[in-house]
Amino acid sequence: MKSVWKIGLLMVLVSSVAMTGCKTKPKNGAGVGGIDGIGGVNGADPYGYELGGRPDNLSEIASQFGMVYFEFDSTQVNPGERSKVEAVAQYLQSNPRVGVIVEGHADERGSNEYNLGLGERRALAVRAYLVNLGVDAVRIQTKSLGEERPLALGHDEGSWAQNRRAEFVLFQ
Amino acid sequence: MVKPDVLKILNRVVAGRKREELCSTRDAVQRLTREGGNTLFGRIALCGFGKVPRVGSRSEMNFQGLESLGRAQLTCHFLGVRMRRIFIGLVLLCAVSVASAQVRVVKSAGEKTSIDWSAYQAGDGVGQLFIKVLGDDLQRSGWFTRGGPGQAELALTGNAAQGGAQAMVYNRATRQQVYGKRYPLSQQDVRHTAHRVADEIIEAVTGKKGFWSGKIALVGNRTGKKELYLMDVDGAGLRQLTSDNSVNLAPNWGPGGRQLVYTSYLKGFPDIFLIEMASGARKRIAYYSGLNTGGAISPNGREMAMVLSKDGNPELYVRDLQGGALTRLTQTQRAAEASPAWSPDGRQIVYVSDQSGAPQLYVIDRNGGSSRRLTSRGSQNVAPDWGANNVIAYASLFGGRWNVSVTDPSGSDPRQITPGDADYEDPSWGPDGRHIVAGRAVRYTSKVVLLDIMGDAPITLTEYPGDWTSPAWAPGQ
Repeated sequence: MKSVWKIGLLMVLVSSVAMTGCKTKPKNGAGVGGIDGIGGVNGADPYGYELGGRPDNLSEIASQFGMVYFEFDSTQVNPGERSKVEAVAQYLQSNPRVGVIVEGHADERGSNEYNLGLGERRALAVRAYLVNLGVDAVRIQTKSLGEERPLALGHDEGSWAQNRRAEFVLFQ
Repeated sequence: MVKPDVLKILNRVVAGRKREELCSTRDAVQRLTREGGNTLFGRIALCGFGKVPRVGSRSEMNFQGLESLGRAQLTCHFLGVRMRRIFIGLVLLCAVSVASAQVRVVKSAGEKTSIDWSAYQAGDGVGQLFIKVLGDDLQRSGWFTRGGPGQAELALTGNAAQGGAQAMVYNRATRQQVYGKRYPLSQQDVRHTAHRVADEIIEAVTGKKGFWSGKIALVGNRTGKKELYLMDVDGAGLRQLTSDNSVNLAPNWGPGGRQLVYTSYLKGFPDIFLIEMASGARKRIAYYSGLNTGGAISPNGREMAMVLSKDGNPELYVRDLQGGALTRLTQTQRAAEASPAWSPDGRQIVYVSDQSGAPQLYVIDRNGGSSRRLTSRGSQNVAPDWGANNVIAYASLFGGRWNVSVTDPSGSDPRQITPGDADYEDPSWGPDGRHIVAGRAVRYTSKVVLLDIMGDAPITLTEYPGDWTSPAWAPGQ
């Protein structure tokens, strides 16, 4: 019995060490929805909007909107990053014929396939915020590139932080 | 080896049964072992009862190591049904069985069969290549060691040259021929012929299918873009399958290796494509809005599991490949799913979800319903592959390192099979249920390696420049 307790204690210690290694994240608030106060429109879930059809013959419009950066393994749009999304929303509102593809990216850690999902959820979080700001959901496509298109090629936190991002591609 | 006092117990238990029935021939032992659950009888046969040929006995012992994965309880159950009357003996046997199952997880080199081919005659360069490939295959199969002349248990003799090859295997002690065949041989197919002979020798000696004649799909970036490649199981014969100048990911075979599905950005967005291997024809088979990835064809070939975000979040779906009906299996609006893989009976799917806050493995019924979490050890567990042997292999992150682990579908007894000297990712089962291919990364450069769940050291297969990842071993025909 004693050894069982010891093993249990060890597991608790190990797991608490493991936990401090990662970023604590409010999983319920992942994305912009939920507990951090920027929920979907009228309390709707931000991940509940079906995607519209993919645009045909899209012609890209050159633009200079800033990238939205994310914490490690998080899909939440941080307060410091929101103004970048707001700028895009403003542009879309004054250019009603323009659509946007939100590209989501992950850093190189973790499996390729999981990172595709992570990148998609980052793009969807940005999309949800755009919708929340009044942009029609059908104008916003998402595209995950997972870890396949890093901006910085180093294998360190400085590079990884630049690669965990969402980018805006505007089209007409 | 089983200890002598254990032998005594076994002796007592089997007393009264027909020993000849259990032990007289290698075939009988193989049949017993194959029938499942009764590895103990095989073991009894090996412990000195009856006349089991030496070669067969060695092989069967190796096989028991493989079988012992989660089999101890089954063995006990089987015995319980068959031999309820000898209750005390049964209890002892269970204890013995569990103990030896644990011991046998790591196999010692001494349990292999030694084979000598120094007398094999190569008539020319083609013949030399033939015997080199054949010898390498045997040595790297996990079943054999190379023994010296006059000492090895088996002797491989014969001759090979442009035009034809002959190979015979003898048991040195009994002078009995275990294998003998003649093949046409040419420069073009010398490697494939050698693989085929190796597989036949493995099967003749051990009763288990060989695995060198298969093929592996993988992702390589040596052109600067991620393209799909195929190679032989020993890493030779590398050939580029796609030239899309895009990003191609996550290859996955359909049943019998007849189709290959993968994710590609060929049309700008991540879509799922399917290649018919016989014709080379390629189709884009999933291109919903958003993410389309993780395509995995069911064992009966009729359905495909995949991850789609068309409904607003990455979720797991199954699509009827003929009728097109789409079933959504997960409803995790706060989480992403990834990497589905089918159970061999096609009834369940193992996949990755981060609904707990980090990616872990879950199992769900093919028709949906509630999911069951499979993994608890490790801060992340990803990239599952459910083998035909009903054992699930996956990559597990613990202490900052990725290793390949295996578990039975209950998840109760995960076991790490890689040595922790590098990051091992993306395991894919071989058709023999013993070997696995995986990526092995050192300092951010990845090669594809061959792993042995019975403890042989990893063998690097891709000695080519560039990164080689996401291997998928084609299932047997």
